Amino acid sequence: MYKLIRNSISNKIDTVKRLSDNAYIPFDEANTDYQEYLEWLAEGNTPEPADE
Amino acid sequence: MTRAVDVAGRELPPNTALGVRNLIINGDMRIAQRSTSVAGVTANGYYTVDRWFSVCSPTSGIGTWTDEQSTDVPAGQGFTHSLKRTCTTADASPASTDIAQILQNIEGQNMVSLKKGTANAESATLSFWVKSNKTGTYTVEWRDSDNNRQICASYIISSADTWEKKTITFAGDTVSPFVYDNSSCGNISFNLAAGSAFTSGTLATSWASRNIANLAVGQTVNLADAVNNYINITGIQLEVGEEATTFEHRPYDMELQRCMRYYELINDSNYNSYGVMSGGTSQFFAGCIDYKTIKRATPTITITGSFLIQGNSNQPGTTGMGTQGIGKRSVYISGTGAGSNVVNGYSYNLLDVNGYIKVDAEL
Repeated sequence: MYKLIRNSISNKIDTVKRLSDNAYIPFDEANTDYQEYLEWLAEGNTPEPADE
Repeated sequence: MTRAVDVAGRELPPNTALGVRNLIINGDMRIAQRSTSVAGVTANGYYTVDRWFSVCSPTSGIGTWTDEQSTDVPAGQGFTHSLKRTCTTADASPASTDIAQILQNIEGQNMVSLKKGTANAESATLSFWVKSNKTGTYTVEWRDSDNNRQICASYIISSADTWEKKTITFAGDTVSPFVYDNSSCGNISFNLAAGSAFTSGTLATSWASRNIANLAVGQTVNLADAVNNYINITGIQLEVGEEATTFEHRPYDMELQRCMRYYELINDSNYNSYGVMSGGTSQFFAGCIDYKTIKRATPTITITGSFLIQGNSNQPGTTGMGTQGIGKRSVYISGTGAGSNVVNGYSYNLLDVNGYIKVDAEL
């Protein structure tokens, strides 16, 4: 499971938090954790929304 | 004037790197930022020595393992550490798609010297020291994941519980170049056990399109077939050319820096400063922490354990530590101070009690 994280400076959502170990994963296609997240999304899953 | 250089008894022109010629990082297993020993390994992952990835079959599992940074090394070779995998729960009959490996993923842009995919493609030689209680035939695969190609080889451990040096030369590949970027172009995999799906073909001893049936053909050893089976390996070197030169003992700080491009554990001793934080409203604080090395890619950040923020005559603990922005050079983190001691506009030192920050940009 994942939760979207909003960058407090840019106010853009550019990170996702992996809830199993509280790892913050940036939206970088060269990051292997982000690649796993994209696979998880492709399986039809949906992350928790970012805090407002 | 270009002078020939005596390498392995041959006069060779210095047209390949004489320093930093080992394409493998942490081949002598000295760097272990994550841990020096992890028991109960049943899943793929990075556990102990940096850059070395343990494969434990992504499907049905193949035994249980302890991974460790061992001090058992071949005598008189200048090594201080090896990587050891020990079977702690056996799997005498692996399923067809079960496989156990030790591998290193390699960044594409570090492989330009091989001239792969050109008429001048270079041969490369893999050398390493290995020891196991299990004698027999083992296999190695060099996987080109950019082009879905492979070349493989076998080697024999002849004497149980005895360090042996192995050398394998791979021909150059004139067909397909690596992609010279910051992603993995493939890996060198040492097979420890393999089901029939990996052994039913013909060992791919020349570069060819990848077929998993051809990657471990002839592997007689199933290192998972009994408890306490083990393998130690160190001195792994992959270099351009058809000769295995003496292992390149690089300075510790150089090797650590190279490892930190992929993974950095920020973990100073207790109560050392990680960086300066600025106080905000409602006990909020935030600040930037620089990495020691620029990362391969924007890394995953994990913050664990307890911290304090010191300043304004107080040392409140922290809660809710997280990131506000992640870059390849630094991470901007934030949290909330305990009590009512964080003052808006004041500066604080972030100190660890038993906390650490994992910065992970591994391949």
